[in-house]
Amino acid sequence: MNTLQVLAIGLGLAGYYALVAVGFALIFATLRIFHIAHGTVFITGGYAFFLLHRVQGFGLILSGLLAIAAAALLGLAIDKAVYLPVLRRGGGLFSVFIASLGVSLIVEAGFLAYTKGVVSVARTDMLDILNAGPVAVRTLDLAVLAIVAVLYGLLYLWLHRTKVGLEVRGLTDNGSLAAVVGVNVDRTRTHIFLLASALAGIAGVLTAYDMGINPDSGSRTLFVAVVAVILGGLRNLLLGTLIGSVALGILTAYAGFFFPEWVTFGVFVTMILLILVRPQGLFG
Amino acid sequence: MEHLLYIGSLMCVWIIVSLAVNLVIGYAGMMAMGHAAYLGVGAYTAASLNIFLGVDYFSAMVIAALSGAVVAVLTLLPLLRLSGFYFALATLGLNFVFFDLFHNLAPRVEGSEGLHGLKLPALLTTADTRFMTTLVITAACILVATHLVGSPFGRLLRATRDRPEAVSAVGKNPTTCQVVVWGVSGALTGLAGALYAATLFYIDPTLFTLNASILMLVFVGVGGLASIAGSILGPVLLIAFTESLRFIGLPSQLLGPVQQGLYGALLIGLMIFRRQGLVGKHDFHE
Amino acid sequence: MTSTSNGLYLDGLAMRFGGVQVFDNVTMHIPPAQVTACIGPNGAGKTTLINIVCGVFKAHSGRVNLDGESLAGIRSHQTVRRGIARTFQDVRIFPYLSALENVLVAMPNQRGEKLRHLFRPGSGVSAEARRHRDEAGALLDTMALGGAADRPACELPFGQQKLLSLLRVVATGARILLLDEPASGVETEMIARVTALISRLARMEGRAALLVEHNVEVVREVADQVVVLQGGGILASGSCEQVLRDERVITEYLGRIYDA
Repeated sequence: MNTLQVLAIGLGLAGYYALVAVGFALIFATLRIFHIAHGTVFITGGYAFFLLHRVQGFGLILSGLLAIAAAALLGLAIDKAVYLPVLRRGGGLFSVFIASLGVSLIVEAGFLAYTKGVVSVARTDMLDILNAGPVAVRTLDLAVLAIVAVLYGLLYLWLHRTKVGLEVRGLTDNGSLAAVVGVNVDRTRTHIFLLASALAGIAGVLTAYDMGINPDSGSRTLFVAVVAVILGGLRNLLLGTLIGSVALGILTAYAGFFFPEWVTFGVFVTMILLILVRPQGLFG
Repeated sequence: MEHLLYIGSLMCVWIIVSLAVNLVIGYAGMMAMGHAAYLGVGAYTAASLNIFLGVDYFSAMVIAALSGAVVAVLTLLPLLRLSGFYFALATLGLNFVFFDLFHNLAPRVEGSEGLHGLKLPALLTTADTRFMTTLVITAACILVATHLVGSPFGRLLRATRDRPEAVSAVGKNPTTCQVVVWGVSGALTGLAGALYAATLFYIDPTLFTLNASILMLVFVGVGGLASIAGSILGPVLLIAFTESLRFIGLPSQLLGPVQQGLYGALLIGLMIFRRQGLVGKHDFHE
Repeated sequence: MTSTSNGLYLDGLAMRFGGVQVFDNVTMHIPPAQVTACIGPNGAGKTTLINIVCGVFKAHSGRVNLDGESLAGIRSHQTVRRGIARTFQDVRIFPYLSALENVLVAMPNQRGEKLRHLFRPGSGVSAEARRHRDEAGALLDTMALGGAADRPACELPFGQQKLLSLLRVVATGARILLLDEPASGVETEMIARVTALISRLARMEGRAALLVEHNVEVVREVADQVVVLQGGGILASGSCEQVLRDERVITEYLGRIYDA
């Protein structure tokens, strides 16, 4: 397994992290909520896709779109049904975090009961492989990278050209000030959760299609995404998250090949070190 | 009957853990989300000493408590300068760090994933003596914790939780207080780990994950923050309740998920409606 | 005239925040057994002086000496051990501790706070604890807070919290008390008790008190010497009589108060 191949695999992984991380970063930067349940939104997208496409036999595109919608709605529901009630009754952000843990437990338990721990793969046919010299790349990986590039581009336009996007950036700079200046925080909040959750849903769909999904995938992917966000910092959200995701993708790919027993250890030691040394990230 | 004694022993173990966790979260205001690591340290220390070095189990338990305290303090020291939320996040990371350490480095019996074959002394071999011994140890821990929180030290702890900078202003060092209570908490958790190993007869890394730390949070959260009674009530009620689930006819493979789902719902319910828990004396404002 | 090697001596202190010079060259002596009042408009830096003495801020230049020894590099929890304690304008009592506990926690050298004494029988922890409770109760009574002894301090009205924070600083036993507006927010009937307490601390117990105050009546009642901090430096200092009749002080500072 040559290093270029591992690099390619890392970049492939980075794509998934980038989609999950950017949504998480958006929510944390604007609302200061540590939305750990974002991982379950990710797997909901994956399982919905699996159910619709593999089990019920709906077409690829239709299943994908419906699954993304399901994930988006779940994310929004979590905010409305759990986070907002906690906040309204005097809970602070840490209480919201604990509630988010609770949501994760429930959703994961649901999928555990349903799948009995077996990995669910939504794809039925083999993937095409391209050979570029010493590196073998799957067409799926290229597709993922293309999707990520397009989505990040759209996100950039959204944040800089649309009214809602500008309001979101306002929240990033100073949540309470934005409330004073007349930004409709409720509506912006809805947009943020829908968008972030849809992105996680896309990642879930792609993962279910690619290597399959199981109840654990949510927290695993989420924590790597969290480290990517901490690494990239919140100052320049898109660029930071992208670079953090690439770094983590490559790191986990290398670790996965050379020290497979220590991947989780490595990810979390990195997280703790980052928190200790430079919590504001590379660009903060 | 033996099963009931087993459940009773488990309750005792988790009461000690809840006391330990409530000390740091409820009384000292430190968000401990990684105590599963210390539980594992205690369990593995006692079990390894006993199985591989033939150390008698009571001595092994004492050493387990000490190692729990040492590891707890060592892992705390770098995190002391972190503020509330980042501190919680870092302790959360400890769960995963230690899981891999247990999985990759901890001794295991040939051919298995974990440790078994404890050579237990008479007081711990049969189910009823084991329960009685565990109960006595638990009672001792409850007394120690009660004495601690009712003392001037306990008062200083609560002051550190409320306003650390005002503690400095009256001439006492809040950090010393935090390190000491964290060490006591680590010792109790390590001891509980040793008892846990004796109760289960078998330990492996999967017992000491984030799920265990979350379980501790649920026990303390339900029972109530900053309350000794809460630390007893929480685990007893919840373990009794999950045991009763067995009797309502749930297929066994659903037991785990249902339990997990209920704990999740409890956490949410607590955070929305009753952050101080059943009999807690401290409402969580953060 | 006591020598400046006794008590607290601030020598040529200068402080800057960002680009703003708060004061430069502030020199004052806070001798024991006397009450020194520091008055001046808001923003003149009175609280900043307290913060510098307690190690919260580092002065841009100048020194702070206690009984002739430098206080340089002191950390906030070490000040009480050196004999200096302070109150805060915004009170900062322990909200979920009772009023009695707020006072108790301030008392120094408690055996019961050390683990090694707690679990040794016969170490005198409970006898000491009882003694402390009696002392704390007596302190609370001086400010008519005895009835509220067991209520969580956050439930007390602001005026009573202010009194509690004063009692807390007294309980530390520190020889030098830096009091940041101890009378502001306190109910008028209680102000006499505050001044009586401060006088007693200085004259009977020989403690030194630095009083940052806006209430000129309180200053008149209790201060042995007054220092006026204004415009980046000391406008005037001396006895109460001298300062409060000083032309410059009246026009620059007092005049504004009386006209308002």
